[in-house]
Amino acid sequence: MLPDNLIPETDKPPLLPSWRAWYWLVLGALGAEIGLFVYLTRLFA
Amino acid sequence: MSGLDWLILGGTLLFIVGFGTWRTRRAGDSLDGYLLGGRQASWWAVGLSIMATQASAITFLSTPGQAYDDGMRFIQFYLGLPVAMVLIAVFAVPIYHRLQVFTAYEYLEGRFDRRTRTFAALLFLVQRGLSNGLSLYAPALVLSAILGWDIQLTVWLIGGLMIAYTVSGGTRAVAVTQQGQVAVIFTGMVVAGYLLVHYLPAEVGFTDAMRVAGHEGKLNLIDFHFDPSDRYNFWSGLTGGLFLALSYFGTDQSQVQRYLAGRDITESRLGLLMNGLLKIPMQFGILLLGVLLFVFYQFNPAPLTFNRPVYMQVAHSEQYGPQLRALERTHATLFKARARATGELVAALKTDDEQAIATAKTHLQATQAANLGLRQQAQTLLKQAVPAAEAKDTDYIFLTFVLHYLPHGLVGLLIAVVLSAAMGSAAAGLNALSSTTVVDLYKPRRPGRSETHYVAASRWAAVGWGVLGIGFATFAARLENLIQAVNILGSLFYGTILGIFVVAFFLKSVGGRTVFWAAVAAQIVVLTLFFATDIGYLWFNIIGCAVVVAGSVSEKAVRS
Repeated sequence: MLPDNLIPETDKPPLLPSWRAWYWLVLGALGAEIGLFVYLTRLFA
Repeated sequence: MSGLDWLILGGTLLFIVGFGTWRTRRAGDSLDGYLLGGRQASWWAVGLSIMATQASAITFLSTPGQAYDDGMRFIQFYLGLPVAMVLIAVFAVPIYHRLQVFTAYEYLEGRFDRRTRTFAALLFLVQRGLSNGLSLYAPALVLSAILGWDIQLTVWLIGGLMIAYTVSGGTRAVAVTQQGQVAVIFTGMVVAGYLLVHYLPAEVGFTDAMRVAGHEGKLNLIDFHFDPSDRYNFWSGLTGGLFLALSYFGTDQSQVQRYLAGRDITESRLGLLMNGLLKIPMQFGILLLGVLLFVFYQFNPAPLTFNRPVYMQVAHSEQYGPQLRALERTHATLFKARARATGELVAALKTDDEQAIATAKTHLQATQAANLGLRQQAQTLLKQAVPAAEAKDTDYIFLTFVLHYLPHGLVGLLIAVVLSAAMGSAAAGLNALSSTTVVDLYKPRRPGRSETHYVAASRWAAVGWGVLGIGFATFAARLENLIQAVNILGSLFYGTILGIFVVAFFLKSVGGRTVFWAAVAAQIVVLTLFFATDIGYLWFNIIGCAVVVAGSVSEKAVRS
């Protein structure tokens, strides 16, 4: 989990409700990319 | 190259550089204005600058060739990058911004002492100074080989232009020119990808191309098999790649300076996260170009070796010429068999007939194995005839396609892509080298001078590092393939630098003396392992960092 105390609450990001949401977006995209790559590797093997 | 190509190449480069220099002509007399662009950059400018700094000419020359030769498994190298972007956004960005530092190493003096700051700055200067030279050398070498350009003149032209706008406008000029360079790079890559698919035979669509590439083992994107000597697998990418990215983006001044130029923490963080979201798709696209090139050359004759100047030199020699020409004739015959076998596989795949697919695949694999054997024979012969020559030809594959198959005008655009990437990346490196030299080495030893004096010193440092980079580029020797050479060079030093920063951020009770000697020991260990073992280079990032942290902790424990 990402530590709360290192994310300044006064510094709100644009577009998403919190920095935590931004971080999970980036990590989620990485997870989706790995999933896609595994799928493509197996599909075209 | 035609007149139209020259016009487009020259016009594109001069417009980008001219516009960037004009827009930033008042760089200011303050260090803050010159080295950090007045800390006014928005998130997208920070993000584009980070991406352009990482993507050098080597990215566009080597990566498609690497996919052509070895498949897409190089993508795993980038798996740790998004995680690193998040960690840097959480931990490093607030600290750097709060302290209002100019360089990453400045922070180390406050946290430890001047000796540790100087040591980290020197490690950075050595590795960035060398790899910046390589960034200039790589495109010059390939362009000189393929287009017959004079290598020294090319290095001086690219380097001279880059020095001019970096010295004149500082960080802001680097960032503004990078925006134009990224636009040219993306346009060029999309156009090349579209044309590669368009040039495939009418009966071969994109999906067919992917299926052929998959059957030939080129879509090997993820490999979960663990092997420490294997450079690219899931585990080395996620762990070694994470440490390399943490070190590169978190402690390498050429990147830290990009996000220190952000208006505030929000802009810097979003710039880093933008890179975390876009980097893997971008690399996927570039590797896909290489795979499409591979399929394209199944239906179109590929040269026996893509390194034509060496080929021509050997073909005309009395001793080796006849052998090479005989190999070339066999290669031409084999191409027809391979094209036929690929066509059979495409037709079989369309019928979904398992038996027909298996037969066609066996047939194709036999012709591929014969082709690979021929290419290896040719490479051995070339190496025998010209021992100093580069035997591997993967760096030449993409540009060979561009020159032989793209229409007039687009050739100029694609060469502008390569040169734009070279200048964008090397300019950021030069900018960081001059900042570190002045802020971390010169200013602490000559304190109390005016801002104008330090800005002038930064400009002279940029000129000095630029000329040194050009000098190195002029005399550099080839190391395996170019992108790996740069990454290997970085990995030898990054682990130690990262270790120092990890101790600084997370082990508050460790002091300067302890971390300094732990860092010296780590650097010795990494260099010894590099010369004495065959460990994959990505692991050096972890080893260097681990030795610094473990050394600091154990020394502290012994003392207490």
